[in-house]
Amino acid sequence: MKKTIFKWAMLSVPALVTAGCATYPDEATTRQIAEKMVITSFSTTPETAKRLAQDASQQICSKIGDAKLTEADAAEVIKLARASIKYPQSGKLVGDWKVGDKLAHDGAGDRIRDGELEKRKENGALCQNCHGLAPDEINVGNVGPSLTGYGAQRGNSEAIAKYTYEKIYNAWAYFPCSNMPRLGATGHLTQEQIAHVVAYLIDPQSPVNKK
Amino acid sequence: MLKLRCGIAAIAFIGMSGSALAADPLAVGRQMLAEDNPGELFIDRGKALFHEKRGPNQVSLEQCDFGLGPGNIEGAATRLPRYFPDTDSVQDLESRLVTCMVRLQGFNREDVIGKAISSPRSHGSDVENVALYITSVSNGKKMNVALRHQKEYDMYKAGEYLFYRRSGQTDFGCVQCHGESGKRIRLQDLVNMTDKKQIQEVVSTWPAYRGAHDTIRTMQWRLSDCLWQMRLPDLDYASDFTIAMTTFLHYQGNGAVIKVPGFKR
Repeated sequence: MKKTIFKWAMLSVPALVTAGCATYPDEATTRQIAEKMVITSFSTTPETAKRLAQDASQQICSKIGDAKLTEADAAEVIKLARASIKYPQSGKLVGDWKVGDKLAHDGAGDRIRDGELEKRKENGALCQNCHGLAPDEINVGNVGPSLTGYGAQRGNSEAIAKYTYEKIYNAWAYFPCSNMPRLGATGHLTQEQIAHVVAYLIDPQSPVNKK
Repeated sequence: MLKLRCGIAAIAFIGMSGSALAADPLAVGRQMLAEDNPGELFIDRGKALFHEKRGPNQVSLEQCDFGLGPGNIEGAATRLPRYFPDTDSVQDLESRLVTCMVRLQGFNREDVIGKAISSPRSHGSDVENVALYITSVSNGKKMNVALRHQKEYDMYKAGEYLFYRRSGQTDFGCVQCHGESGKRIRLQDLVNMTDKKQIQEVVSTWPAYRGAHDTIRTMQWRLSDCLWQMRLPDLDYASDFTIAMTTFLHYQGNGAVIKVPGFKR
């Protein structure tokens, strides 16, 4: 490399300037470099490596900096999201709010350390990390909107139950590329778990809907 | 002009932390703790390790080149990550330290990396302590990372790309939690890494004493712990992903005055 530069310098000064003119790589090159890093920077098994690969929606939703989602992007993400939603075999979209309460406050499950998958009977629903829940709870996050009074405000009709179920299963069906994980579509939660969380949000007896 | 702008930034920041204190009762406790930072003890340990003749080759790290020439560590941390011709790669402080422990001192790379992140409530690993010591020598100096070599530009842009890259079962990239100010995961404040002031606060305070672990922690640890929560596979210590992210953040943090060890939750 040094030798090459030296030779160019012998030939002409402008050539040396060009050779030494490092700059930001273009979009395609950046992508190529960074995607290679994703492959080389993690210790994986064929199974865990899947977590690093992006699906079509994740690719669309990874806009850099201030780049905005186009209308076509949003339409595509919504289409993919709608197609992803599956409902419990029982047809019941509203489960047990007490089970949902526990799930909403469970932030564990499926993490990997030193190649070991976190051993859990089931994954937590992670809600508490980002959302306000019961009115008296202090230890809640605010990355997402508060869910305090969710059912008290909206009621517990079939339509609301369905909307809530779908929103948790794949939030991008309603808000393309929002920060909310597609908890059902990515397999983090089962259909039955989501139904329990729906109950926790809309049941009038749930702490979420108490004053 | 540059000086003037930094002055304004500093005043604005003091103003902000003042109001943050009023709004957040926990911040008072945090500040009290920070004034009596147990991390100071780890600097001496790092200093001793740095000067001690160690490893199969029985040499110290005094001849390690952190970018300003062998033996010149004062200010070195302000300019990292940077490109190193002898490894033909961009390295952060920690990966450079590993290179020297392997090439100069003769340690086994896998061993060093395997032990790089210590157990909680330990005295810290060799890498953690020495990284803290070397950074502490730059206390009071401003971050001044440059992009000159093509590989430095590549690292910066790759870091930016990866910051926004979403994957896995949580659909998270970094920006999902670190893209807005005033956000929390449960009660834990999240740094907005799209805000220069907040980036500066971060890049100038690692390595840090972490209360919950009662030991010293580095940026490499911080990144791997984030990705663990995101449900991604194990991030390799000193991997290109970590260097890219650190290059992206440190470059944006230029102008921040180094003050380590930081004090974290």
